[in-house]
Amino acid sequence: MLNGFLTTIEPMATSTATGTDTLTREETDSLTAADIPWVVIVWNDPVNLMSYVSYVFQSYFGYSESKSHRLMLEVHEAGKSVVATGSRESAERDTLAMHSFGLWATFQKADTA
Amino acid sequence: MATGFKLTRKGITANLEPGERDLLRKLFTDVQELLEPDTAADSDPLAAMVGIDSSAAVPEDSALLRLLPNGTAGSDEDALEFRRFTERSLRESKQGALRAAALQLEAAPLRLDTEQAQLFARALNDVRLVLADRLGIDDDEAAERLHDITDPSKAEDVDGYLALVYNFVTWMQETLMQALLDSLR
Repeated sequence: MLNGFLTTIEPMATSTATGTDTLTREETDSLTAADIPWVVIVWNDPVNLMSYVSYVFQSYFGYSESKSHRLMLEVHEAGKSVVATGSRESAERDTLAMHSFGLWATFQKADTA
Repeated sequence: MATGFKLTRKGITANLEPGERDLLRKLFTDVQELLEPDTAADSDPLAAMVGIDSSAAVPEDSALLRLLPNGTAGSDEDALEFRRFTERSLRESKQGALRAAALQLEAAPLRLDTEQAQLFARALNDVRLVLADRLGIDDDEAAERLHDITDPSKAEDVDGYLALVYNFVTWMQETLMQALLDSLR
């Protein structure tokens, strides 16, 4: 399901390159290539229990108890935390999973986080 | 009064009073109904098969929006695109957890394996998200203010009653999470 979503809206890397200099175009390509990682951000809310958030990070991502606890505290104290990094496909999948747990999560390109 | 969830050799167990069971069942059912899609599955058979919902829109009800939040913080268009491809399956997944949790309540005492306990935790969490929205809990201070409302004799109005229910469900979830965390150690 999400594969279709990916191919549908993934922007064409070269379509907006207007420069005539080949080197410039290649640099543009390398910046917009699919290997720029995507991130999943979990946002703080006053309802989700710390124990629940910590458990979700441990059970879903397979993070250690201490890493999960650290991420949970970061969400709580800083208002948000990047909890996963990877391809756009995995970021979408993880965001949907966080929503299914009732956590408030969004995904975006890493360089805009 | 219920005993909270405990991790035992026979799974995660809890004892609930009949009234508490009825209350939780009602809450699970209410949220399940709230999550019912407004429109039938897409009339395009291929779209319906893969769960795409071209009519998906940002929910107007703030509680429903909290259950089905935007997947991107940026442009509305990106968020809507993600919603079209994911919202229907998210609704179904949440409804599935709520239905499973309601079914577990038929047994007394409750006895859950890990997977059942995770579904039960998700159901309790979604109930709390809806109650919190109805109670206007939008920051930590608001959550803190309600924390002490645990005496039924002092619940004089609807909000007082809702706060009481919220605190009960919170307490149930907290004991469930401690049992689940214990099971990982």
